[in-house]
Amino acid sequence: MVDSQDMVKKVFTQKSARIDTNKGEEYYNCLFENAKQRISMLQKQPALKDIDMIDVIESEGINRRDFMKWVSATTATLMLPPMFEPLVAQATELMNRVPVVWIELQDCAGNSEALLRSSAPTVDDLLFDVLSLEFHETLQAAAGHDADRQLEEAVEHFKGKYLLFVEGAIPMANDGKYGTIGASGETFHEHLMRMSKDAAAVVAVGTCATFGGIPAAAPNPTGAVGVMDLVKGKPVVNIPACPANPANMVGVILHFVLTGQIPELDSLLRPKFAFGYRIHDNCERRAHFDAGEFVEEWGDIGAQNNWCLYKVGCKGPMTFNNCSIIRYNEGTNWPVGVGRGCIGCSEPDFWDKYAYERPMANANIKAPTGGVEKTVDEFGLGLLTATTIGIGLHAVASAIAGKKSEQNEEE
Amino acid sequence: MTPIMRTIHWMNAICMVVAVATGLYIGYPYYQTLIADPAVDKYVMAWNRWGHFIAAIIFDVTAILIGYLYLFSNFEKPYKKILPTKKNFIEFCEVFFNLMTFNRRKKFDSSHSDSYNIMFFTLFHILLVFMLLTGLQLYVHGLGSGHSSIGAWWPWILHLSTDWTLSVFGGNMGVRIAHHTTMYLLIMWVMCHIYYQIWRTIFWQEGDIAIVFSGYKFAKNKKTEDK
Ligand code: SF4
Ligand code: SF4
Repeated sequence: MVDSQDMVKKVFTQKSARIDTNKGEEYYNCLFENAKQRISMLQKQPALKDIDMIDVIESEGINRRDFMKWVSATTATLMLPPMFEPLVAQATELMNRVPVVWIELQDCAGNSEALLRSSAPTVDDLLFDVLSLEFHETLQAAAGHDADRQLEEAVEHFKGKYLLFVEGAIPMANDGKYGTIGASGETFHEHLMRMSKDAAAVVAVGTCATFGGIPAAAPNPTGAVGVMDLVKGKPVVNIPACPANPANMVGVILHFVLTGQIPELDSLLRPKFAFGYRIHDNCERRAHFDAGEFVEEWGDIGAQNNWCLYKVGCKGPMTFNNCSIIRYNEGTNWPVGVGRGCIGCSEPDFWDKYAYERPMANANIKAPTGGVEKTVDEFGLGLLTATTIGIGLHAVASAIAGKKSEQNEEE
Repeated sequence: MTPIMRTIHWMNAICMVVAVATGLYIGYPYYQTLIADPAVDKYVMAWNRWGHFIAAIIFDVTAILIGYLYLFSNFEKPYKKILPTKKNFIEFCEVFFNLMTFNRRKKFDSSHSDSYNIMFFTLFHILLVFMLLTGLQLYVHGLGSGHSSIGAWWPWILHLSTDWTLSVFGGNMGVRIAHHTTMYLLIMWVMCHIYYQIWRTIFWQEGDIAIVFSGYKFAKNKKTEDK
């Protein structure tokens, strides 16, 4: 009985959208061996950048204990069991063996900003010092032809090995002429295709690169699209959010260093370890949501008591991201924590469909009637009014016609 | 109408009122709880969601039941009335033109559900099934972990049967808008439905409205055949 139940369960649980935080001992043992081999292989390789992680960490005043704390938190974030901690620690020191090429297209550089260290950097931030960033226009010293050459060399030298990070959307309208790069006037589209050809994997960071983001907002004059719409036949990882959380970028790189593979993805190619849950599921205001206690106006009694922000436009119930768990700025806080609703920045179409800071019912979202901007409710109310009028007219006409036919019958 | 059909009809009617009222609350919590109880004790949104889901699940079950009766009923099989046969077409036009020309002419057997009514009935259930699929998609959205109290098979099935709505309507917000808009279509439908049945009762003078209460109406034909 139990066996057949188990079997049925197994059949029904295969390949679901489920987030498996425990895949069984066998799986992890195997992964552990692979990771160990990979790490010893990487250790033999020369460092691409002569920086030692531990030195950097110590020079920033982070002690070994803090580092180990970070390691265990990161291991848990990647949904790996504690036995991986030593490997994760080793992997951080080997981050300078994996070349990263970062290109920037149609965007605001917010994700570059996000990965730059803050005044009191966390281990995540420091990892970017160690990381072998072979090319990053905004951060590097080289410019003009030198920069071009550096990029060519990096791509040539690390063929098939580098991770290509893409920030920004790709304008496709007008043959892509809205965005060109370098002296040759190569369009962003051509640039992306050329760079991704030899990459081991492509990581789209930020909502512009993943789903088109703000450049793709209606009416999308430049015809902006995301990386996954263009790059085919290559592993693509999406790390949306505006900007992407550096912890999630580190997570993806670490996972790659550790296993040589990209992490498990959901249907929108977002890593499950970061985008497996809605922020609403782990929000500190959730009890107030269930209780029906809502902030009605900024600064009202509800706001003073940290009630739920749903009625002032929080999109947490529809947004998959881990902000409510890992937060921002050294984990000090996050939007909902400081009393602003989530605007769904990590969802497709976020600018058109999520980012209004009003509850859904007060928002101007495009009704299925096309062109005209209306709320669904106005549209619906219009439909109902039209129906009522129609029914009314018909009823009156029926009454008149009824009288007439009665007269006819009498005559 | 058989007792089962009547039960389903009224159950659907009640479920619909509940679903609309709670659905509007979920979309825009229109009343506020100002009871000075701790949050854990009041659960207003949670109750609304509970009501919405319970109504939805009853809809689910009746939809399956109706789907079955639609095809395999022992009495009349409704699907036969929407087949594009000449008889059905004439019947449909008869009723439709009656309605449009305020006519009392009735050149068909009105002792059973006519083609026009069944068309409406079918349309309603198509809308309803659409509501169920989009609603279940919105629901499974919250089960990101892939687990549920009754096992992982449930979210799996929901994903399998409703994930297509995501691509059709462009993500979760699109599904939400579709779900919300369809509510208005359904309310419209209900208005037309009630109006039509009352109109028909008055105009045809066969007591049609009684069908749904007692199960019977009388027919004005020479042969007085009960329904
Ligand atoms: S504040 Fe937003 S994420 Fe938090 S419980 Fe309310 S609706 Fe959900
Ligand atoms: S809380 Fe929402 S809007 Fe803010 S960063 Fe997270 S996903 Fe984006």
